[in-house]
Amino acid sequence: MTEPKLSIVDLTKRYAAGLEPAVDRLNMEVEEGHLVALLGPSGCGKTTTLRMVAGLMDPTAGSIVVDGKEITHTPVNKRGMGMVFQSYALFPHMNVEQNVAFGLEMRQTPKSEQKARVAAALDMVQLGHLGKRQTKELSGGQQQRIALARALVVEPTLLLLDEPLSNLDAKLRETMRTEIRSIQQRTRATTLFVTHDQDEALDMADRIAVMNGGLIEQFGSPTDVYERPRTHFVANFIGQANFLTARVGAETGGASLAGESYYKVDVEGLGQFGAVGAAGLSGSTHEMVIRPHRLTVALRPGADQTPVAGTIERVSYTGDALAVAVRVGDQQLQAQLLTSSGDLPRTGDAAYLSWAPEDAYLLPATTSAERLAA
Amino acid sequence: MTLLQTPIAAEKRTDRDEGLLEKATERRNRRTYLALLLPGLLGLLVSFVFPLAYMIRMSFNKGAPDGVIVETFTLDTYIQPLTDPYYWRVTLDTFQMGVTVGILCVLVSYPVALFLARSTSKYRGLLIAIAIAPLLTSAVVRTYGWMVILGTNGLINSSLEGLGLIDTPLKLTNNMTGVTIGLVEIFMPYAILAMISGFGRLSPQLEEAAGSLGASKFKVFTRVTLPLSLPGLLTAFLLVFVLAISTFITPRLLGGGSVQVLATEIYDQTTGLLNWPFAAALSVILLVLFGLIIAVYQRLTKKIGG
Repeated sequence: MTEPKLSIVDLTKRYAAGLEPAVDRLNMEVEEGHLVALLGPSGCGKTTTLRMVAGLMDPTAGSIVVDGKEITHTPVNKRGMGMVFQSYALFPHMNVEQNVAFGLEMRQTPKSEQKARVAAALDMVQLGHLGKRQTKELSGGQQQRIALARALVVEPTLLLLDEPLSNLDAKLRETMRTEIRSIQQRTRATTLFVTHDQDEALDMADRIAVMNGGLIEQFGSPTDVYERPRTHFVANFIGQANFLTARVGAETGGASLAGESYYKVDVEGLGQFGAVGAAGLSGSTHEMVIRPHRLTVALRPGADQTPVAGTIERVSYTGDALAVAVRVGDQQLQAQLLTSSGDLPRTGDAAYLSWAPEDAYLLPATTSAERLAA
Repeated sequence: MTLLQTPIAAEKRTDRDEGLLEKATERRNRRTYLALLLPGLLGLLVSFVFPLAYMIRMSFNKGAPDGVIVETFTLDTYIQPLTDPYYWRVTLDTFQMGVTVGILCVLVSYPVALFLARSTSKYRGLLIAIAIAPLLTSAVVRTYGWMVILGTNGLINSSLEGLGLIDTPLKLTNNMTGVTIGLVEIFMPYAILAMISGFGRLSPQLEEAAGSLGASKFKVFTRVTLPLSLPGLLTAFLLVFVLAISTFITPRLLGGGSVQVLATEIYDQTTGLLNWPFAAALSVILLVLFGLIIAVYQRLTKKIGG
């Protein structure tokens, strides 16, 4: 493997002695050209991490290495990164071109080259015609693009985006998502992207670092963190999930995904099922995760599988889909089915739930539930 | 046909009625606004517009040496200050003092205001209160304080002499130097307040953005912080200038009679020589000075987009 573009080693930030650290011995490696999303709830340390990488904040401990060079204590203006702020932070006393040219000016790029590069950057964000405008005359989406052009025109070592979409309305956010992603892929700028929106992260990122309480709970591709969450927190934060407590029995063999085993599990109150999980889980109790839309809901008992019988307690209709809450014993399971023109289940109906063993995933950590409770 | 027309006619009438109703409400609203404005307007009329008109009228009267005012219409009161080099000197000194005090006051207040505006400390409110607390003591008291500090046997001179740095005391009072020092300090709270309210466009994020784009601390200041604080600096300068050229106590006390500015001259003419028409004319000249600087200010603020 080639050298990572960015490595973060044991990075720690403590705002005051005695306080819980905001970022706690964080480790991460980012490959050249990747877009990495730092995803987590507010206060999880994602913005603090980004600001330390940017050089806007001094870490308490640990180091940041870019292109093999340690830059932990390099001042912000010597880091050569490009940052897009949540509020865009466009200079109000400069017009669009002057804003975009600012970084080149600081680098004392020759005037003629500045002009060409500013024009190219503005064309890239499709605002070439607005160069002479004042920034306050622009819409939120346009300001956002100017901020992106201003950060990219200097060909930054890293592109840092701090919740860049959170000030836009829902429709525009979707458009900008695609646009930022495509610009990022064209420029191959290695990018760190802070967001609290899981959809954004799943849609845009090559890798997602799910953060919680100053720690990275899981670092992996969008499919990894969604399909194979390592902890309760990750499974719960990304998408919706049903959690069941399962006593893991013997491995059943059969075709396993990369390094994973099939198990027979005993789910409290529901019976015996098949499930997948990491190797070596037999004999202990684990949390089992099933995504609502992976549950098959039948209104009559089926023949081929062993369904779980329950009663529908709540139905919510969103047009495309129907979310149902099914009471099974003392638990409630969330399920989802696509609507059709046929009969739709109603509250009080009997429902039979079934799932494929591949869709029941055993969380590897036995401790995550306790950690969350603490 | 009649059946068809009736509803339309009825509709039309309601439209017009609604229009009338709207107009009536609007008229009532306007009357409410006027009623609310009235006390303020009356107050301004009595305390500002009438006296000003009276003063301007007074400036065209003739003053006799014994304090008798001769009701007439003459330009003599203006011809004298405009032709006498002494009054040119006084007017110029006044203007110069205003500019000097304004610039110095803005310079020393800027770091304080910048610090207070950017502070995120929980003590920020307290710090601002401390910065403007000197307003609680009157300018007279503070002027006497400065006389004690700056005097021939004052704190500064005796300290410097004690340290053997000077043999003869520095002349810090009874001249423009003393007046300037005193005024700069006295007007600092005003300047700080004006600046803090004028720094609205400054934000730490803009400075961070500039830094991330490669600007050194110095460049961040000259390219972002300073340009964005210009409106606040200008407002503070204008305020201090206006206060400085109209102040009378400090130039009189710290100037010790050797500093003559328009304000002290007006005072002498009014209370000493009882030449009210002449004092009124000098006041009008002072007003023109105000007007000039405000015109320049407005030109500048438009230019820098404040």
